[in-house]
Amino acid sequence: MQSVLLLVLGFFAGLLGALTGIGGGVLLTPILALHFGIPIRQAIGTSLIAVITTSAASSSVHLQRHTTDIRLGMTLELATAFGAAVTAYVVGYFNRSILEGLFAGFLLYSSITILVRGGKVKDEEAPSYNDKGETVIPPYEPRRYPLGLAASLVAGGLSGLLGIGGGPIKVPVMYIFMNVPLMVATATSNFMIGVTAAASAIVYYRRGDILVEVAAPLAVGVYLGSLLGARLAPRVHTKYVVYLLVGIMLYLAGRLCVHLFTGGTA
Amino acid sequence: MSQVREPAFDRAVALVLRVGAFGCFFIMLAGLLSEFLIPGRIPVVIERGGVLLMLATPVVRVLVAGVLFLREKDWKYGAISFGVLAILLLGAVFGIGEH
Repeated sequence: MQSVLLLVLGFFAGLLGALTGIGGGVLLTPILALHFGIPIRQAIGTSLIAVITTSAASSSVHLQRHTTDIRLGMTLELATAFGAAVTAYVVGYFNRSILEGLFAGFLLYSSITILVRGGKVKDEEAPSYNDKGETVIPPYEPRRYPLGLAASLVAGGLSGLLGIGGGPIKVPVMYIFMNVPLMVATATSNFMIGVTAAASAIVYYRRGDILVEVAAPLAVGVYLGSLLGARLAPRVHTKYVVYLLVGIMLYLAGRLCVHLFTGGTA
Repeated sequence: MSQVREPAFDRAVALVLRVGAFGCFFIMLAGLLSEFLIPGRIPVVIERGGVLLMLATPVVRVLVAGVLFLREKDWKYGAISFGVLAILLLGAVFGIGEH
């Protein structure tokens, strides 16, 4: 029965992730911790498997559209993978309260950022096509690599700490500071998330912080949900979906705070 | 100059990710179904295989891209790829804080 619930949870996390561009990890970790009674460190490790699955599935689609800058992605992965591996080790020394507090803070920060931006998660940019139906990317040259690497280190660190992908950091950095077209920034961020999450997930796995019986139904659900989400995305008015997501995130942040202050009895 | 648009390169890397994601989905599904059919530890062993495949997919993706860069005599990005690979494998070799 629990497996069925986890499958449904994974499905909705994957669906919301594909529709809004906010990955499933943000929702999965706190729900696993609060509603399935899984210790937060194992909730983080287990949701990383769902994050890698989502990245692999969606990134292969972007690659086939030739919108991914593999060279840029690989360069920034040096920083994201390093940051993710380091924080994944550090997490081994954190207790439950620190992690739950950090996660609640992150959920609040993300919800407020989205609300301030008026429900816009990603800047829409209509892709242009040539007469062969291929996506046209304007010529560009990535700039400010040191800044990009520094931001990637932070994004990777957050990924290893909280079990999230970190796309909301990487996309704006590439787009605004590194002179990369938005379409390429989105695809490249997606591409990097798998390696970033794997760098920390390997450390979590070795520590025994990935629960395979939980990861299995989640991965199946996330895979199906993100496939459906990718198909629905062009037809759904994402703004309302984003507000739904913000509502869930605020609820989870509140529950985590209550959980924190009551010592896990609530 | 734009750095994207190398169709053969993109297709090879996409193939690794597709095989990994679908393979993981398939193995995990098999593990879930066997939970209802086979008693004992076998379902967990199958699911562990799915987790390991998912952990290995990004590693193989980095390795394949690195080899493709070297074949194109693009030493700089070949070296960067193997640097990323080293970080990933260091995590697998050194466990800290294990209990």
